[in-house]
Amino acid sequence: MNWLPLSLVLLIAAAAAQEPATQGTQVRNATGGAIQNRSSHSAAEALFVEKCGMCHREMGMGTVILARRMEPAKAMLEKRTDLVADFVIAAARSGVGNMPRISRGEVSDAQLKIISDYLAKATP
Amino acid sequence: MTPSTLSAALKSFRAAIGAANVFAADDDRRAYSDHYSPDESKHMPTAAVAPASVEEVRAIVRIANEHKVPLWPISRGKNFGYGGAAPVVKESVVLDLGRMKKIELDPDSGTVLVEPGVGFFDLYDYLQNNRIPLWLSVPGNSWGSVAGNALDRGVGYTPYGDHSAQICGLEVVLPTGELVRTGMGAMSGSPTWLTYRNGFGPGWDQMFVQSNFGIVTKLGLWLMPEPEALLGYDFEFDKPEDLGWAVDTIAPLRREGVIRQAPSMGNWLRSAAVMTTRDQWTKSKGPLGEDVITAIRKRFNIGWWSVQVRTYGHLDIAEAALKVVAKAFAGKPVLAMKPTRWVRGDPAEGSPFSGVPISFPLANANWHGGRGGHVGYSPMLPAKGSLALDQFRRTHALYEKYGMDYHASFAFGERSITNVNQLLFDRDDPAMMGRVDAMFRELVQDARAKNYGEYRTHIEYMDLVASTYDFGNGALRRLNEKVKDALDPNGIVAPGKSGIWPAAMRKERK
Repeated sequence: MNWLPLSLVLLIAAAAAQEPATQGTQVRNATGGAIQNRSSHSAAEALFVEKCGMCHREMGMGTVILARRMEPAKAMLEKRTDLVADFVIAAARSGVGNMPRISRGEVSDAQLKIISDYLAKATP
Repeated sequence: MTPSTLSAALKSFRAAIGAANVFAADDDRRAYSDHYSPDESKHMPTAAVAPASVEEVRAIVRIANEHKVPLWPISRGKNFGYGGAAPVVKESVVLDLGRMKKIELDPDSGTVLVEPGVGFFDLYDYLQNNRIPLWLSVPGNSWGSVAGNALDRGVGYTPYGDHSAQICGLEVVLPTGELVRTGMGAMSGSPTWLTYRNGFGPGWDQMFVQSNFGIVTKLGLWLMPEPEALLGYDFEFDKPEDLGWAVDTIAPLRREGVIRQAPSMGNWLRSAAVMTTRDQWTKSKGPLGEDVITAIRKRFNIGWWSVQVRTYGHLDIAEAALKVVAKAFAGKPVLAMKPTRWVRGDPAEGSPFSGVPISFPLANANWHGGRGGHVGYSPMLPAKGSLALDQFRRTHALYEKYGMDYHASFAFGERSITNVNQLLFDRDDPAMMGRVDAMFRELVQDARAKNYGEYRTHIEYMDLVASTYDFGNGALRRLNEKVKDALDPNGIVAPGKSGIWPAAMRKERK
């Protein structure tokens, strides 16, 4: 069981503007702002969202930890312009730091190819 | 298992489900091992098989019986802190059900039938995309399986937070390959499989929870209709001793049903460990001093303890319940009491209190820097302030003795309290890993001396924890193993799970 510090999201989410409500005034939960953008515009992006988004979009564990190691604006993989496909594949299969290895049962080789091509914006 | 047995079994698995879904390379073995373990080889599987349907699961079970190959079923394998995807018995074959991802949801009855591969994010996306006004209850790390979490007695933050209690109806492949449906599902075509739990005669749903009596391929779950209002208070407490009276204030409200979710009262490190790393606070490897604790509390504007209490339902009801909560705390020395309020029509509440899945809290695995991890020891206590305070004092002393940072919470069930003791570690620090193991064992002993038992544990400690359930010289264990032998004569499904061993392998018990 992981009973976690939900009241602290605010510090990184910074999403807590108070808005008019229909019945009384909303007092934003300090945890408000944990919702990820789960939308996509292509099949490859949809696959990224399904397989990787939980950690590598807004408020994901990967995003939070990467923000400690690099320019926070580039903590989201989709904003990176320096990724090459082979590196993405190696990171997923071997794990990096706190990232667990991703098994072939969870993401097949064919799926990982699509995801790594989607993320690879650098010239190899 | 001899190499020739394994290779014959793998050949049959490939024929049954396709070579592309049988994984037996070194990389595959590592991918299914416990990635928080300092020694992954201890519980490393020999291969993994990933069926796409219940018929393929049954085919795998038949092959496993033929070759006497132990299977370790996983849903999504994200049970981090409890072993992840790794089996108790080294060289088992992981049965990865993650490719089975069907969702059958009935918005009218507020029920869903999920296959094991459905994750919390998958189900959340399904609700959002179809604009269905039902809320999930998600665990603090929501990357796992909805079914797998319920089957391991996971917990969440809403009134539906006792996940195994929301189970209604299962489809199970028994260890000999038969397919059964429990409850009303035992009647072909029953429209009430997911709405009436008991069926006729004995109810078996809970028999497949935390057990190794079968492989659940479909699980019925009740979901909460979106309430009109979600209100609450965030409480802060200044002193460690405040735990006692706070427990005695909250527990009766929980028992009476004024508070229907499980508030969790946790210490200052919960926040710091998620948001920061240890070296941001101190360069010392030694215990965190009062100066550090004060600095952390100041930075996050929190107490020694914090607890978030929420009320749900129609606005009139949620407001009335919240008034009762405020009255119970009136005149008591809280440090801060901050209201929260969401009413239908407001922008999304946006947190796990309204069923939003999250993964960022596990950034706490990075507390020590490097490749981190955690393991928890979580005994159940009576819901009494004096006992909670005594538990805090004893366990806090153990954290000090072993040089670990105190990270704990007290979560309120309807009539009990779960004391979650989290041990955050750096798995590349062998000295620390030795302390973690020794401290875990002492926590078990310490709780046993008070007659407290743990509710869920890591694969390495299943026998240890099971051994503390010792009434009648282990009468429950003998019952479990009698059932195991009857259902699983070849002992192929998850040997050792929850300390339950099949006849041929009892000598493996630690």
